[in-house]
Amino acid sequence: MSKSSLSDTGATAVAPAWPTHQRLKRRSKRLKAWFPYLLVAPAVLYLMLITLYPGVYAVIQSFHQVKFGPWQPVGLANYMRLFQDHQFWGAIWNTLVIGSISLVLQCVLALAIAFYAYRDPWVKGWRIIFLVPMLFMPSAVAFIYKLSFLDARVFADLLMRIGLIDGNIAYQSSIWMSRGILILADVWQWTPFLFIIFVAALQGQDEEVEEAARLDGASWYAIFWNISLPMMKPVIAVALILRAIDITTMFTNVFIITKGGPAFGTETISYFIYRTGFKFFDFGYASSASVIMLVITIIIAQLVVKRAFVSARS
Amino acid sequence: MASQRKNSRGESLLLRYAILGAWALFCLAPVLWFLSIGLRPRTEIITPQPIYWPSFSLDAWHMIWEDWPMAKYLRNSVAAIFGSVIIDLVLAVPAAYSLSRYTYRGRDDIGFYILSTRMMAPAIVAIPIFFLFRNVGLLDTVWALMLIYAAINLSFVTWIIRSYMLDIPKELEDAARTDGASDLRILWEIIIPAVLPGIITASVIAMIFAINEFLFTLLIASTPNAYTMSVALANFTGGSDGLIYNAIALVAFLAFVPVFLVVVAIQKHLSRGLTMGAVKG
Repeated sequence: MSKSSLSDTGATAVAPAWPTHQRLKRRSKRLKAWFPYLLVAPAVLYLMLITLYPGVYAVIQSFHQVKFGPWQPVGLANYMRLFQDHQFWGAIWNTLVIGSISLVLQCVLALAIAFYAYRDPWVKGWRIIFLVPMLFMPSAVAFIYKLSFLDARVFADLLMRIGLIDGNIAYQSSIWMSRGILILADVWQWTPFLFIIFVAALQGQDEEVEEAARLDGASWYAIFWNISLPMMKPVIAVALILRAIDITTMFTNVFIITKGGPAFGTETISYFIYRTGFKFFDFGYASSASVIMLVITIIIAQLVVKRAFVSARS
Repeated sequence: MASQRKNSRGESLLLRYAILGAWALFCLAPVLWFLSIGLRPRTEIITPQPIYWPSFSLDAWHMIWEDWPMAKYLRNSVAAIFGSVIIDLVLAVPAAYSLSRYTYRGRDDIGFYILSTRMMAPAIVAIPIFFLFRNVGLLDTVWALMLIYAAINLSFVTWIIRSYMLDIPKELEDAARTDGASDLRILWEIIIPAVLPGIITASVIAMIFAINEFLFTLLIASTPNAYTMSVALANFTGGSDGLIYNAIALVAFLAFVPVFLVVVAIQKHLSRGLTMGAVKG
């Protein structure tokens, strides 16, 4: 550095060299300040293209009637219609019901099997076996569940064979039966997700605390309830949030297994938007439903996700 | 209870293996049923009484390769998936480096914005994305799928890699910096090799999500031109006979095997990857 500034002063006459050098230095300092932004910019711009652009597009489209011809501005008409549309409210209700039952079941089951598996000498083996359902293509799983329940009626047949029921089960005409299939498919495929995370958390906990409690005579469920579970709280929160996000956007299973039926009893919000947009080509109306869902998403992200991820990080 | 054998921790071993065994059965029984569907003749699929011990047949295997352009669907899948992972890594590695190594104004908000795109339901953006791709002429192409898969997974990949970068001791970098290495060289020669397990984990998880993606693929790939395996499945129909379940089941297995092998190889990192680094696995 000093060598270059020396030679710079040597080449005087035309322009004094040291200010140039300083300017360069200042510029490199400014570049340094911009450098981290520069690194993160491509990813952010790409995500904006794929989220912000569609978000704005959906908002604008939601104030128009868009069918086959040109867009016609209709003001708040789509939203007014939405609030009076019992199919839309039904879709929200279905999403909540199916999602919460499924989530609670998955969480309880995953906690139970993680608790029994993590201290087993063959925990690695169990982990691989229990992971299997998660690694199948969801669309294929949905088809096979559709086949098993609706077409070949395997479950009903098995129940008949052991004499629990006489006739066939009318899956397709019972709302709760259809919801049950969706819940079962989701529990089967995604409990492993929670299991894997819970096992890691249990393995990561401090064994000495547990050991000390045991020496004091605490029973295993007291240890689990009073020590392990509180320690796992942030992990459980993060895992449940991630799972809840995926469940509330449930589409594939609905699309393949139930098509939202019977009597719209299994239509989720995602399926409602899909049906309105791509079956009835009522894009403006579908967009207004998207916007409502987007607003809910943003609120949940700000209130819950931000906190969970920040607390889990520190 | 008292007569049962207990381990040192006081709970019954019998109970433990009963529970784990029952869960293993719950996980694997449907898988065996899927497999038996994939390996039976079509006539034994939808029968008035389900057939539990089918006659073995490779009908589905021949159908997949001879009646449908399965090789093409497989090529589409592979191209879209690997392309998307490459895009993700090119964008995510510098972003993760920036988010984990520098402090600057708005960093946490930028990080949260990236994270929050994971929360967006595909159905919300599906309609605008559909029109966007149609307007630029990318509908029904593998390129569109590649771009969309990359976008879906970008937040995930960035956050996983970021969490691994946060674990690198600062001294490692400082030593290189005093030796006069530039920031980019430090990223390339020190950080990236050090977070390679994170990069591999992120790539594997991104691939699984890309294979599984259904809604966008359904909308964007509306003709066989850009079908991937997951959407091709939905179109295995034999005219009046309806869906050809044995072909669906067999394709599911073909896709499962490589995914399973890769995941077993990285299973140590899996929990950390699945929670985007919020849990140290």
